[in-house]
Amino acid sequence: MEEMKDFFTSDKFKQLLIRQVLVVIPTIVIGYITLRFVNFSYTALNTGIVNQSIYFSVGIILAYALYYYGARWVISLIILWLFYWFVERIISRLPGEFDVFYASARFQLYSTLFVIGWLFGLLLAKIRWAHFILFGLIAVVTLVSVSDTIDLSLSYILIHVAPVVVYGLYMLFLSPVLTERIEIDFKKSKKFLIRVSLFALLILLALIITENLFSGNLKAAEKELAARGAKGKDGSGNNNKNNYDDRNGLMEKTDDGYRLKDTMRVNSKMSSSDKLMFCSKLENYFPDGSPAPLYFVYHYLTRYDPVKESFTRDVNIPSFDEMEVDPARLPMYYSFTDTSIIRKSQADKFRKITEASIYLSENTWKHAVLSPSSAFHIQTIPVEKDFQKTFLSAYKTFSFTSELNNAYFVYNISASPMLEKIQEQRYEELRKIKNYKKVDSEFLTYYTEYPSGKIYDSISKLAFSISSKEARPVDKVLAVRDFFLKRNENGKRIFRYSLRAGSIDDPNIPSSKMLYDFLFKTHTGYCTYYAGASLFMLRALGVPTRFTTGFATINRSDKNKGWYWFYASQAHAWTQVYFPEYGWMDFDMTIGNEDQQSAPKPDGTPPLPPPEPWLVLSAKAESVDLTKKQLVASFKNLIFQNTPYSLNKTFTRPVDASLCRVLYNKRDTTLAAIKPGDSLIIVSYKDEAKTIPQPHQGVTIETQVEGFPSPVIADEIHIRGKENGTKKNDTAKKKNKETGKNITLKDIAWVGSITLGSALLLLLLFPLIYLLYRFTRLAFAKQGTTKADQVYQLALYRFHMSGIERETETPLEYAGKKIDPALSIHFAGFMQMYLRLKYSSKNWSDEDQTHLNRFAKEVGPAIHKKNGFLKTLLNYFNVARAIRYFQPPAAELNDTLN
Amino acid sequence: MSTEKLKTLTDNIETIIRGKPQEVKYVVAALLARGHILLEDNPGAGKTVLAKTLAQSISEGTIDFHSANGGVAFKRIQFTPDLLPMDLIGTHIYDEAKKDFVFKKGPLFTHVLLADEINRASPKVQSALLECMAENQISAGDTTFQLDPFFFTIATQNPIEMEGTYPLPAAQLDRFFMKISFGYVSEEVETDIYNNYLSINNGKNTVKQVLSYRDIIHLQQEAEKVYIHPELIKGIVHIVQGTRKHQEIALGCSTRGGITFIKCLKAWALVNQRDYVIEDDVRTLAHPVLHHRMIFRNREASRTALMQIVDQEVNKLAKMGIQAKK
Repeated sequence: MEEMKDFFTSDKFKQLLIRQVLVVIPTIVIGYITLRFVNFSYTALNTGIVNQSIYFSVGIILAYALYYYGARWVISLIILWLFYWFVERIISRLPGEFDVFYASARFQLYSTLFVIGWLFGLLLAKIRWAHFILFGLIAVVTLVSVSDTIDLSLSYILIHVAPVVVYGLYMLFLSPVLTERIEIDFKKSKKFLIRVSLFALLILLALIITENLFSGNLKAAEKELAARGAKGKDGSGNNNKNNYDDRNGLMEKTDDGYRLKDTMRVNSKMSSSDKLMFCSKLENYFPDGSPAPLYFVYHYLTRYDPVKESFTRDVNIPSFDEMEVDPARLPMYYSFTDTSIIRKSQADKFRKITEASIYLSENTWKHAVLSPSSAFHIQTIPVEKDFQKTFLSAYKTFSFTSELNNAYFVYNISASPMLEKIQEQRYEELRKIKNYKKVDSEFLTYYTEYPSGKIYDSISKLAFSISSKEARPVDKVLAVRDFFLKRNENGKRIFRYSLRAGSIDDPNIPSSKMLYDFLFKTHTGYCTYYAGASLFMLRALGVPTRFTTGFATINRSDKNKGWYWFYASQAHAWTQVYFPEYGWMDFDMTIGNEDQQSAPKPDGTPPLPPPEPWLVLSAKAESVDLTKKQLVASFKNLIFQNTPYSLNKTFTRPVDASLCRVLYNKRDTTLAAIKPGDSLIIVSYKDEAKTIPQPHQGVTIETQVEGFPSPVIADEIHIRGKENGTKKNDTAKKKNKETGKNITLKDIAWVGSITLGSALLLLLLFPLIYLLYRFTRLAFAKQGTTKADQVYQLALYRFHMSGIERETETPLEYAGKKIDPALSIHFAGFMQMYLRLKYSSKNWSDEDQTHLNRFAKEVGPAIHKKNGFLKTLLNYFNVARAIRYFQPPAAELNDTLN
Repeated sequence: MSTEKLKTLTDNIETIIRGKPQEVKYVVAALLARGHILLEDNPGAGKTVLAKTLAQSISEGTIDFHSANGGVAFKRIQFTPDLLPMDLIGTHIYDEAKKDFVFKKGPLFTHVLLADEINRASPKVQSALLECMAENQISAGDTTFQLDPFFFTIATQNPIEMEGTYPLPAAQLDRFFMKISFGYVSEEVETDIYNNYLSINNGKNTVKQVLSYRDIIHLQQEAEKVYIHPELIKGIVHIVQGTRKHQEIALGCSTRGGITFIKCLKAWALVNQRDYVIEDDVRTLAHPVLHHRMIFRNREASRTALMQIVDQEVNKLAKMGIQAKK
């Protein structure tokens, strides 16, 4: 106990604490700022800035303290290794519930940060100029991050680089003091206080200068930052922009995008929007290597609520296999594993683990997992930078899927022999299940629960009319399928697909009635009708079935293998049927819409090859309308359908730039950057344009240009250059200044040169400033020894600057050998007096006083006499000489002995 | 009073030893600090003459030694490899008249001793000499003879590179307060010496006896009273410790070396007619007093390392303002 107390009150510990406060904490702060900035710039790192900083700081503090108590490089690294080893052991020993994925990605990041912190701490403790290494590293990281920013402005650079510069200066000022003992009583540590106050003064000066130079810019930047912060706070921030209206459909609009409804009313309208909802890469392939699509599941609706007459979600489900996690709440790279799904999964035949990456657009509901069924693991992943405009977030899931399951089921009878063979194989396989006797009775009861009532009885009767109770489950399913596929005498299908479910589209009619009507009267409906009807029929036949909502996989990317994209219109409902040992299988009874073949949708999957333009204009901006997002451009040269043309006259066309990307020097910018007179390249893509004029043989290009849509819809605008003369540039620059935005390279160069110039001027004037300082000190010195000191210091400096420099000799030798012969002044005499005052035990006398005053008056005239006034003055501009005055003399070679 | 006497002493020696005022002062300072001095140089540079002149400049006081010339006693021993310790300290011989062994004193019983080419003698002889220098006494058989408080050795040695030498170990070098190198004189001085070689050769006759034995003892006491500023002592501590920490120095300066340094500084200040030590003294004396006590790792270091440390400290002192006196 006593020892502990001694330890904490010991001088060494106090010194350590002081150094921790003076060195380590500023380093941690700058580390935090840098980390925050890097996190801001690179989403891939975004895993919680506080945790990152904590690991970093712990690394620094530990390493610094250990070094202080004697753990040098080797020992320190051994300790670090042991520490790491222990953590690794602890993690690998944790019970199975602990998620390995969860540990790995974050663990690596944090341990890297910890080790970096450790190294920083060691460097700080060991090397005197470590601050410069750290400063350099941090500066490089910051600059790289800054240079990656799209809308670069001077204020932005200043705001992010300033802390690093302040840190560098702070360390520059402090590092010489740190090698010495720091007095804890601050009254005694004069040197330290002087340095700190000098530093504070310098920063204050810099602040004042910055404030004066860029006050406008800073205000603008502040606003910008504030706006950014506000945007970050309320999530996606794009709530009110989309007026996508699908209130009655499968989707419901929420604050965070569109979601599939928890309760599925049969009368829900099918959504027909072609908004891109999400995109996915599904690592699921057929044995021949072609992609095997799977339906993407949101929710299972398992319980029929007779009061609401709709299917609802239920939590108390036996062997519930829906992963309940909110992906929007998982920070980057965090993951979640529902081990209960792994445990409960009884399907072990043909089971495999399928990986899927899902990229969500801003329209998608982000608070539920969307994945192929029986997902058990989810990890958030970053979105590639190029696609951040389209996709806001992404995650990766792992699901238990069956090799027998794929989206090419049941209904969409395929033309491909390979798929037919697979379906046949599956049928053979599933035929092995004869009944559900081995299935847990609770489970079976739950999933075959069937409501009673007149309508339900008739549905049940219908079901028994198409299949028997003794039939094998898969045959029952196929019987239901065949029921929907039945054709009448004329060879026409009885059941049809329609988004308008016949004439009975009346919300007042109860849903069960609608199902009844669908089955027995209208035979017209969309997915929920088919899914609902087949659900009831299969349950009536004693097959465990559930209603599934999600997305049908239709659009397969031809360019990117394994990629699919999903529109809002692909929101879907279907049934899943349980087969013991095989698990849940998707069965989609919805028949295809024969009447209307929807046009193939554009491929929306990343990474996209560059889109093909139909029109490229080399144009000049005439006017820009920022509110309408339109500009008027005149052009003479163009590339139309891959053929370059030069027109015989200049055409002028309005250009719609509302959706386009504006680029300047390959960096994104805004439409506001385009000024009238700029030369532009305007690109319009084939995929995006609605009406593309086709090239005609024998028609002049001019006529074809006349036929271009007006306005031309631009997808990309490249600003090539500011065409007008310097005058316009100047006005543009002034405008920039007024708005405090978009600062050009010129401005940066201007500020840089001013800073450099003033620094140089200060350096040039430095000798004179120091002279002035010496004179002031002398003027304010009291009579006596202080005055003698000041006279001595001033004289030394003036002699030095007059061209006679002291080298290794002592001042007395300097006086006797150099000054007196050159200037014929009695400096040696003064020196002797001065040394006597300094070193002898005797006191100050009046005689000394007169001697001192006499000498003080002699110095100036003596120098003037030798050098003349002009040369004396000019000598004070010799900066190198002034600097030498402050340098310790180089050691003299002593040859006398050898 | 004492400063004038010293001035006359140095001036007196300088009439014979031309162009070497600094070296003369070193020797006098070593004398006043009650130390011994080692001159290292080639033969014929004037070492012997210096020692002789110094002895002759000091007049006869109450001495029980035989004095050749009215001054304090001066003896010279030329060291050779076959020299034995008893050749220095003396030996017992049988006295017929007394019918007893009596001690015949050797050349060590003197005031000023010139030990010529000390590194040519065997280590045994060297250590016998060094014992007297350190203890100021001689032991022969069962008797111990106290030497005079004023016992001053000027040893000379050839450069170590020369053949047939037994280099003095560092521990023994430590006993010499200073080790200086004489060096050759400049052209003008040499011309002057040749012009006046006759009078120099007959130096015996021209050297005046300016100081008495008592004066020297008095001056030695005076030297101890010289004021040395606390900041200077701090500087010396830094220098001494600096030599121990320096990477190029294998063996740094001992505490005895530091004490010697302070003694020499005081004596040097007195020789320069001051009653206080200044920073210049530190710089001037550092090499002769400290250099031979250290072992350097290489030749380059032996040329530069010490002065690096000293220059740094002296520079600090020079920058220091006048401290308030208590």
